[in-house]
Amino acid sequence: MAARVNPNLIDDVKHYGADDVVKCYQCGNCSAACTHSKGEHVFPRKSVHYLQLGLEKPLRASLDPWLCYYCGECSDQCPREAEPGETMMSLRRWLTAQYDFTGISKILYRSGTSELIAVLVVALLTGIGFLAFGFTQGGGNLAVYDGPGAFLPAHDIHIFDWTMGGILGLLLGINCVRMWYFTMRGEHSVPVPLSLYIKHAFTIVVHFFTQKSFQECGKKRPWRNHMILMFSYLTMLILIMGFVKQMQAGPAVNWYVHSFGYLASAGLVVMAIVMVRGRLNKDESYHQHTHESDWMFLILLLYVVITGIAQHILHRIGMPEAANIMYVLHLMGVVPMLGLEVPFAKWSHMAYRPLAIYFSQLQDAALAEGAVPLGAPAKAQPVA
Amino acid sequence: MSNFDADELKRKLHDVINEPKVDRRVGVYFLRTAEDKSAAADLGALHEYAAHLPGVQMVRTMTVKAALDPEVLARELRKEKLNTVVLAAEHPGFYQPAFARALALAGADGSRVSLASFGERGDGGSAKRANDVVSSAVQGVPFDLPAKPAMPIPFNTETLVIGGGIAGIQAALEIAESGNKVYLVERTGTVGGRMAMFDKTFPTLDCAACILTPKMVAVGQSKNIEILVLSEVQEVTGSVGNFTAKVLKKAAYVDASACVACGDCAQFCPMTASSEFDMGIATRKGIFIPFPQAVPNTYMINPEFCNWHQSGGKKCGICAKKCSKGAVHLDAKDEVLELKVGNIIVATGYDTLDPKRIDRYGYGKYPNILTSLEFERLTNASGPTGGKIAMKVQRTNKKTKAEEWVFEPDGPKPKAVAIIHCVGSRDQNYNKYCSRVCCMYSLKFAHLVREKVPDAKCYEFYIDMRAFGKGYEEFHERIREEGVHLLRGRSNSIVERDGQMYVHGEDIASNRLIDVPVDMVVLSVGLQPSKGADELAGKLNIPRDSDGWFRELNYNAEPNSTGRDGIYLAGVCQGPKDIPDTVAQASAAAAYVLGSIVGAKSREATKVEAKAGTPVRS
Repeated sequence: MAARVNPNLIDDVKHYGADDVVKCYQCGNCSAACTHSKGEHVFPRKSVHYLQLGLEKPLRASLDPWLCYYCGECSDQCPREAEPGETMMSLRRWLTAQYDFTGISKILYRSGTSELIAVLVVALLTGIGFLAFGFTQGGGNLAVYDGPGAFLPAHDIHIFDWTMGGILGLLLGINCVRMWYFTMRGEHSVPVPLSLYIKHAFTIVVHFFTQKSFQECGKKRPWRNHMILMFSYLTMLILIMGFVKQMQAGPAVNWYVHSFGYLASAGLVVMAIVMVRGRLNKDESYHQHTHESDWMFLILLLYVVITGIAQHILHRIGMPEAANIMYVLHLMGVVPMLGLEVPFAKWSHMAYRPLAIYFSQLQDAALAEGAVPLGAPAKAQPVA
Repeated sequence: MSNFDADELKRKLHDVINEPKVDRRVGVYFLRTAEDKSAAADLGALHEYAAHLPGVQMVRTMTVKAALDPEVLARELRKEKLNTVVLAAEHPGFYQPAFARALALAGADGSRVSLASFGERGDGGSAKRANDVVSSAVQGVPFDLPAKPAMPIPFNTETLVIGGGIAGIQAALEIAESGNKVYLVERTGTVGGRMAMFDKTFPTLDCAACILTPKMVAVGQSKNIEILVLSEVQEVTGSVGNFTAKVLKKAAYVDASACVACGDCAQFCPMTASSEFDMGIATRKGIFIPFPQAVPNTYMINPEFCNWHQSGGKKCGICAKKCSKGAVHLDAKDEVLELKVGNIIVATGYDTLDPKRIDRYGYGKYPNILTSLEFERLTNASGPTGGKIAMKVQRTNKKTKAEEWVFEPDGPKPKAVAIIHCVGSRDQNYNKYCSRVCCMYSLKFAHLVREKVPDAKCYEFYIDMRAFGKGYEEFHERIREEGVHLLRGRSNSIVERDGQMYVHGEDIASNRLIDVPVDMVVLSVGLQPSKGADELAGKLNIPRDSDGWFRELNYNAEPNSTGRDGIYLAGVCQGPKDIPDTVAQASAAAAYVLGSIVGAKSREATKVEAKAGTPVRS
């Protein structure tokens, strides 16, 4: 079946950051330069080609953009300054918007103003909501931070966290199913038996926690920084989801819990600053281009960490009113950051990336077992 | 060059001084496009400066997005009652028609548009220069004088040709044929240039030497051509019709008129050096002749590789002793010649990109990776293997005891050869332009591989196949039919595993990564202006383009002219081109020179006639 061309695709993807796609003259240098490009997944040239032609469906069915970790080697070597690395980054944003069934992702990515408005609105609603809750359902007294009669009781926050986690998880889960449908059940997809799904399931866990593919990139520093950021974040997540009561209790420092909290906070602050500085100095090829959504993510992260640390300090030094206000300000950052980024924007890659690696392994394994892609066109035989 | 009629100048100045001054109401427009990274970036200061120049009524900065509308401009001119417009921009001439029309629509004289170009040659970056450019356009010369062509008498009919490659040879022969004297200045020890190194020419697969050698001999024998090898132009002064060129003629240490090229000297010379003519893949003696058919056919010494010179005249000197003609003069000195010429043809050709700059191709790391010119020498019958395509073998140097890789006629034959196109060409990191000849010479190489080593596989890695000339597409088809694998996809790197080289790249047709095992790789390196072209441009005061090639006056209409009368371009020094185009352009350059010589002669004759016919009055 002839592929359908969307002539506006290239302009559409421009909104997601891919500015130099037209410069590419299809020499294939990038694909050969990439350490992740192999076997069935030879990229980024092919993705750039799809973009140039406007082949929307094959592009949507492609896992390749998720297999790229943007070390920037392809962009460094590109003879046309076509920035294939940035194109792959933009395609990940575009794919995120494709997977998202609500259409919110599209709005957030395509317009920085919309994203800003969305963040502000959610922040405002959060602020009003928590203040109203505190005064009506909660302790009602801003001067009490923890223990019985706390303005925002840890028990309620705990319930709120789990509710929000559940909703966000559900949204992201639906998007993941859509990703699976587009990439594994599309027109030319490889039929994969259930047994293989089970056999390789552990891949998701391994790649989620180790990002070992990232480590295969020529440059190691980004992987290291990313690991520190991720584990700091994960630690924080576990503390908040599981130990919010111990976290909130004070003013004494509960070292069993808080030492982890301090480590994670330090990791988050340092990495956020390193990443902001990298993007400002444009020191590496993967820092040359910064999409509005990247700035939004980093600013929110910094804001959340700083307000989080501040409320902790204010509480410990005996200023419960200030601590409570800072806590509300902190939540006004946390809710939009997670609420918008996890299912609709940058954070979603924590699910898509390991899934993509898993799916690509399934495809390779199925092909190795002799599976034939649906409606596969006759492939040219590679030489030698 | 032009001079002015003094009487007319006086009369005009008189008119200007005595006539009531026209009320000049000047509007200065700074024009820039949206993406203009204009050198005169500090428009604020410039703006201020222009506003205070005499006669300036209005200063405006316009960012031009679409075509200018003369009607709109005319309204503004009328409103401000402007009658003169100054356009200041990187290339202001582009906007002139719109403003000329606007002035006419506003009822003023459409010719009163002055251009202030920041993009003109010179220090465009300085603020003072930007001020001066605007100032001179605003104040300008208040009247025009018709230029009259100047012809210094007598017009020197001798010509200097810089560069002794096929372009210089062709131009020199054409001019000499007409009976006019030519100095052919060549930096190396022989004329012939790059073409002399080639084995075959594309697309006809003619033997390059069979075409070039007769021309070289003709140059050597022509009474009208004086060949100056080992020579470089140091300084050029004067103008068309009477240039003076200082040429440094380095000592060859062998008297060309006495040397019979018997080779006795080289036989006893203890020195070995790598041969420049063979691109370093073969060796020569300290006293040497670049190649057997060199013109002039004379031995020479490069003092850098000579025992006698290196020891300050204390050691060796055996060549002088062995020469039965007494032709070797080791104490000869460099000399500076002063040549008087009427025209100059620049034909300095090209160098190739140094592939060491792209380390992932492994040139210099693996022995059997060659540049295109090295491969030309390898396949040439006068090369180190007598024209056989063999791989390098490891040998112990008898003198230095070091292991080194050398070509030998009985070396092993490669089983697979890869030819990689566009090495450093069409690449924003190296040379942005297409070098134009590489696709075709690469196909020629593939043919030579298939012809000389029929068992060898041959792979061409290309981005786009540019077979644009007469007979080129047919040649492309022919090579394809000869069983050469043409792979679309610029390869990425050359790697070695277990002693086997692999070319790593993507085969675009199948979207597969491939590792092709090969024994020899030819890097089709791009052309770039020959070393010293920048200095020569300064000496001749002729412009170069952004890629470093000499800039022609007009791409379409004046591809041979430099913008300086009497200095013409021929061959690759103006931009990459193949041999037929080079020869055609060289002949055209010769035609320009001959035209100026014949023109000068006929003018002189007219003048003499006119003088004879004028009655003498006292």
